[in-house]
Amino acid sequence: MAAKPIASPIPVAMYPTLSVFTLAIGLVITAIFFIYEATSSRKNRSLAKELATAVVASVFLGFGSLFLLLASGVYV
Amino acid sequence: MKQSNVDLLLLLLAIVVLATPAYSDLVLSKVERRIDVTSQIARVTKTLKVVNSGSESVSEFILTFPKFLGNNLAYLSVAQSEGKGKSKRTLANLSVEAANPKDIPDSISVYSVALPKPLDKGDTLTLDVIAAFTNVLQPFPEKISQGDSHLVMLQESAQYLSPYAVESQSLSIKLPSARIQSYTNLDSTTKLQGSELKYGPYKNLPEYSYSPIVVHFESKAAFAVAEKLVREIEVSHWGNVQVTEHYNLVHRGAQLKGEFSRLDFQARPNPKGESAFRHLLARLPPRAHSIYYRDDIGNISTSQMQSDSKKTEVLLEPRFPLFGGWKTFFTIGYGLPLSDFLFASEGKRFLDISFGSPMLDLVTDKLIVQVVLPEGSKDISVKTPFAVKQSQEIKYSHLDIAGRPVVVLEKDNVVPDHNQNIQVYYKFSNIHLLSEPLMLISGFFVLFITCIIYTRADFSISKSSASYLAKLQWDEVLATLQEIQSIIQKCLAAHDKLEASLRDLSRTGDIQTCKAARKSTDSLLKDLSKEVKPLMAFLQSSQSASHISPKVEELVAKEKELQEKLMAKHTTVVEGYEKKSSGRDIELRIASQQQKIAALRQEVEDLLEFIDEI
Repeated sequence: MAAKPIASPIPVAMYPTLSVFTLAIGLVITAIFFIYEATSSRKNRSLAKELATAVVASVFLGFGSLFLLLASGVYV
Repeated sequence: MKQSNVDLLLLLLAIVVLATPAYSDLVLSKVERRIDVTSQIARVTKTLKVVNSGSESVSEFILTFPKFLGNNLAYLSVAQSEGKGKSKRTLANLSVEAANPKDIPDSISVYSVALPKPLDKGDTLTLDVIAAFTNVLQPFPEKISQGDSHLVMLQESAQYLSPYAVESQSLSIKLPSARIQSYTNLDSTTKLQGSELKYGPYKNLPEYSYSPIVVHFESKAAFAVAEKLVREIEVSHWGNVQVTEHYNLVHRGAQLKGEFSRLDFQARPNPKGESAFRHLLARLPPRAHSIYYRDDIGNISTSQMQSDSKKTEVLLEPRFPLFGGWKTFFTIGYGLPLSDFLFASEGKRFLDISFGSPMLDLVTDKLIVQVVLPEGSKDISVKTPFAVKQSQEIKYSHLDIAGRPVVVLEKDNVVPDHNQNIQVYYKFSNIHLLSEPLMLISGFFVLFITCIIYTRADFSISKSSASYLAKLQWDEVLATLQEIQSIIQKCLAAHDKLEASLRDLSRTGDIQTCKAARKSTDSLLKDLSKEVKPLMAFLQSSQSASHISPKVEELVAKEKELQEKLMAKHTTVVEGYEKKSSGRDIELRIASQQQKIAALRQEVEDLLEFIDEI
């Protein structure tokens, strides 16, 4: 049967754009996390809110750094 | 190769010719041989017409070369063809194996060709044989000085050596130029036309007929040989195939004796240095990107690139021209788009990529190809059109947990005819691609967890010192302040709702909704004031908040005042609507109240800001 060429799941030309956007969103959520840490008092801090923000921020930062690596030519 | 060796061979062959019986019943009715020595490789193309003149059908054909040629055989392919001239068709390639039949003497290399179907009595068959030999163009003299021209010597046989009788055969040698030092003039059939030397046609030769000839001519071809070439092909499913090639190049022509004079090399009009070569041309696949050319010192800038839709040509110039015996080493690397080389078929993926070096006219003594497949690839197998030595390794690279499987293919004596495509088959599911971002995500998450633990952990050494206790109290005060702040914000939001309901009233005239809104806001404000009371009590009791609590009390009191004034205003407006008095009357009545409300509101907000800054 005819062989089908395999390409990357995400078009290669979009790597730089994707990396900028995901990193920006990730950094904004990181900022929200740290602001919450700094302004809340010990009694009022809620672990659920902290963990949720940390998870979302690390997902965006993880993907953002992956696309940054790919866009700069280090094809991991 | 010394002349005495060839003489010995001739003697042996003479004995052999007298002693050996007819090998089989095949007869070669016509043999045409063309030898091309325009580059450093001797390429022999033979067209053999085989006739079965015996009574049995034969399924095997024996191909022979004299041993000194057979030892240097790099590439051999045999194909069956039909038709003549323009209508020549090549049928399947036939499998060839080195064989060792007992009745053929040792000074002959033997290859056995398996015929596709047995050749019956009286049938004919046409075979096309292509053979490439390295190291058979001997530089003679072996050491030359810079200004001498490069002369090489070829030793061959004018009559075709085979275990079968030959009815008619001819030989033509294509030389690189018309400058020939000397050649063996065998008999009247020898002709030299321009740069082509012809011997034959000879008729009715017995088996193992052999007549040695020597041609001594000038060759301007680059005798570039890569002693060792390591080719690493790294496949990344994110869209790139990266090829890195490490070359150890040497000039295998006549060695340079004496000194190298740069002045003579660059003199015009007669530069001295014909035996050296400066450039190497590499032909890369189209859409190759990020091409680099460097060595241990750094980047080598003497290179040019030209690309079109079919190929990318890179002209590389080493740091110095290479004379005989001189060596150089460098690395080139380039990236290729994944969809040109990786394909899926029948549940497996395969990589279809060229095997040898992309450089034209380069002979490789030892070629090592390492195909690095992504992590999580299974069931790896390789398909090559010729024999290679395979092994597997592991390579640890970016974001790897268990390492990437590497297929190592080794081959010796590689010529550009070997630059055909090989296929590497493996199984891979796209889920494994996710392991790389997951590793990065978990790395960042660990950082955040560390921050959370740090802000929650208590690192003070003494738990009963005065400063520690004071800090604890201050933390509590801050917490209470924040709670009061949030309650006041909620009160302010309730005030805003009241104002909004008044505005709605002026728009729609619906008194009932207005009253209902007022009722709900009333109850809400009552609840909030109840919540504030214990917090205020705590603040007043604690010592560390002594400078803040008056301000907070003021804030709460002002807020209450604001509340009452707003309620009064609301009642007035509603009554006004019930009595159906004109809008202007209502405005007049609440004018003074409005001013006070605005002023109070401003003060409350100032106090809130002040508390915020603590």
